[in-house]
Amino acid sequence: MLKKKICMVGEFGVGKTSLVRRFVHSIFSERYLTTVGVKIDRKDVTIGSASVTLMLWDLAGEDELTQLNVSHLRGASGYILVVDGCRASSLKKAVELQQRIAERLGPLPFVLVLNKVDLRDKWEVQSAAVSEYGWPTFETSAKAGSGVEEMFLALAGSLLSANSAAEDPAE
Amino acid sequence: MNAADQQASLLAALGYAVFERLGESSFQLLGPSPDWLPAGSLTDALPFLEVFLPDAEEFWNSPGDRPALQSDFWTQTSAAGEELHFCANAVAQERKFLLVECVEQRFLQTQSFIQYAHEASLARDQIAKLSRELEHATQAKTEFLARMSHEIRTPMNALLGMADLLWESPLSDEQREYVRVCRKTGDNLLNIVNDILDFSKVEAGQIELEKVAFNLADVVAETLDIAGVRARAKGLALSSRIEPGVPAWLEGDPSRLRQILLNLLGNAAKFTDRGELFVLVEPDARQDPGALHFSVSDTGIGIPADRLSTIFDSFSQADASITRKFGGTGLGLSISKRLVELMGGKIWAESVPGSGATIHFTARFSVAEARSAAEADARKASPGPLALVRDRPLRILLADDAEENRFLIRGYLKGSACVIDEVENGALAVEKFKTQDYDVVLMDSEMPVLDGYSATRAMRAFEHERGSAPTPILALTAHALREARDRSLEAGCTDHLTKPIKRATLIDAIEKFVPAARTLDRIQVPVESWLKPIVGGYLENRRGDVAKLRAAVDSGDYATIRTLGHQMTGTGGAYGFEPITQIGSVLEESALAGDADRMRTSIEELEGYLSAVSVE
Repeated sequence: MLKKKICMVGEFGVGKTSLVRRFVHSIFSERYLTTVGVKIDRKDVTIGSASVTLMLWDLAGEDELTQLNVSHLRGASGYILVVDGCRASSLKKAVELQQRIAERLGPLPFVLVLNKVDLRDKWEVQSAAVSEYGWPTFETSAKAGSGVEEMFLALAGSLLSANSAAEDPAE
Repeated sequence: MNAADQQASLLAALGYAVFERLGESSFQLLGPSPDWLPAGSLTDALPFLEVFLPDAEEFWNSPGDRPALQSDFWTQTSAAGEELHFCANAVAQERKFLLVECVEQRFLQTQSFIQYAHEASLARDQIAKLSRELEHATQAKTEFLARMSHEIRTPMNALLGMADLLWESPLSDEQREYVRVCRKTGDNLLNIVNDILDFSKVEAGQIELEKVAFNLADVVAETLDIAGVRARAKGLALSSRIEPGVPAWLEGDPSRLRQILLNLLGNAAKFTDRGELFVLVEPDARQDPGALHFSVSDTGIGIPADRLSTIFDSFSQADASITRKFGGTGLGLSISKRLVELMGGKIWAESVPGSGATIHFTARFSVAEARSAAEADARKASPGPLALVRDRPLRILLADDAEENRFLIRGYLKGSACVIDEVENGALAVEKFKTQDYDVVLMDSEMPVLDGYSATRAMRAFEHERGSAPTPILALTAHALREARDRSLEAGCTDHLTKPIKRATLIDAIEKFVPAARTLDRIQVPVESWLKPIVGGYLENRRGDVAKLRAAVDSGDYATIRTLGHQMTGTGGAYGFEPITQIGSVLEESALAGDADRMRTSIEELEGYLSAVSVE
């Protein structure tokens, strides 16, 4: 079966692990547990007539001490930039990570995710400020589940169409 | 078995999955398969190796001095649904090995360490965010209070001013009592508004101390004069002592020092029914010469021991019921505390409940140099002439959109020799200013069409063009915050008067900034022709009053002074002698307050005026 590696990147504590847990296991925990290194999950999805195994690489969030190890993105088909809507710093971090990844790995498909939409009244990040980047953007709540599946499937869908476009000349 | 094989079996026994690298992407498991190792090809079983093996290849090709290359931790879920944590090592000795271990303990230790750092960082962000919100809220509160005080002061300006004018008109005893109560409660209300405003300024850190030379004994004496009215009314003795070694002349903020002392004395008088209030100033021995120790003692109800430290907190009186019984906002002490801190000192209380309390505070001043002290002395010594006595009428331009404010100023200046041009906005003010020379401009700050600041700028520009000397422009605003003052001065105003403006403040400011070309020895007063026949007799009778008043002060017969003062208040202005009305009013008030010094000064003033005045 077709396999696609997708990486979750972003500042620590924005909800990368929670998004994967919600998507893969349909659960959410209020307890914050720091990811160390990389956490790898898999989920089989069907998009249209195609079945694909998503390998979800949840990379430890960046902080003052730990830098994202960009080599962990080797072989990725796409990535998800996760932002905590309640922390303006996490948007800044996402923008910075996108640049670093693009420099090292070239143009890879990605989506921007504004997480914690259930806490919208505490958001520091304005949707309007985000839209100026022109990136595909989703608003999600790992806690309530809203937008999570749509976001993963949308990225997976665009990876598949990128895939078939790449394979077309060979046919 | 060679050494490498021995090492491999030892590592396998320790729980490692030991793979030997046979060639690129070709590995062989040595020894038994650990039960945590998933089935399948190496990278299917352990997908993380996809990103580690390229680094490991590089290392095996040129290990340098490094004995091994360790991977990051990774986590994957077992077939049984259990989360397992792993770490891989590339080892290059005689042969090339890949060691994979399942690292529960080490992983959890590392995780708890990072988790701690992340939680601390998130908490720090949260605190910073809350503190920003708090700062905004405090700022909003200060702005709200400032705006409210503006809104309250504007109508109070008119109310208190009207009450002042009413007080100076002929009134029956009953009416006079009504007006007295009206003025007194108005003053109280104004004090409360001022307290709240001061407090908000203190909270916003907007109070800056002045640094001017002043005489400490004068400040203490003035404070006792003011506080004395209330103390005497309650039958309390009031005294002070300045110990030797305290410098006579200091540099600092005398008005804020006076505010602290008045606050403490006001409280002391409030909570004392019998006995005395005492102010002591001594050098603060441990500090430099300008460091002083003040104490204000009373013989009142005292402060319970458990409240000694909280009475300086905002809105805190020792007992909530005290607010109801004694009144007050409870802000005085917290304002005093902050002012004392700005003066580099501290404030504390001592008390024996039932027999009194002493509030101590320390403050640091500079010792004033002789020269600046002498200047301050000279300023103080210059005698204030009677209201706006000059060789010709003053020309005043008054710009204010509120009719009642113009009426009030007109009332204040009634009887003073002046000609007032009134305009309703800044644009008309500038127009007038360009066609006519004025001695002084009274400029409201907020007006339609063109506000006071812009009008002032236009006037200054006009003067600059013509090369003429700057005309004093006094800003009149209800804004009490420092910014309002700064804004007025920046626009080019000569000074800034905060509404409600008292008559004396306005007159003083005009006196201060409008230089008297020549103060006349003789004061010519125009009198309407039909009054002329009786005016001479009126003035003669008043000259006769002077002797009566003197005798009455000496014998303590304040009732007579009150009666004579009252008569003058009611009649002076009517004959065209406004100063007689003013002096009469002061006499009446000081007789009521039992203030003999003030009565004597007023009598001298009356005598001086009567000897100078003549009728045109």
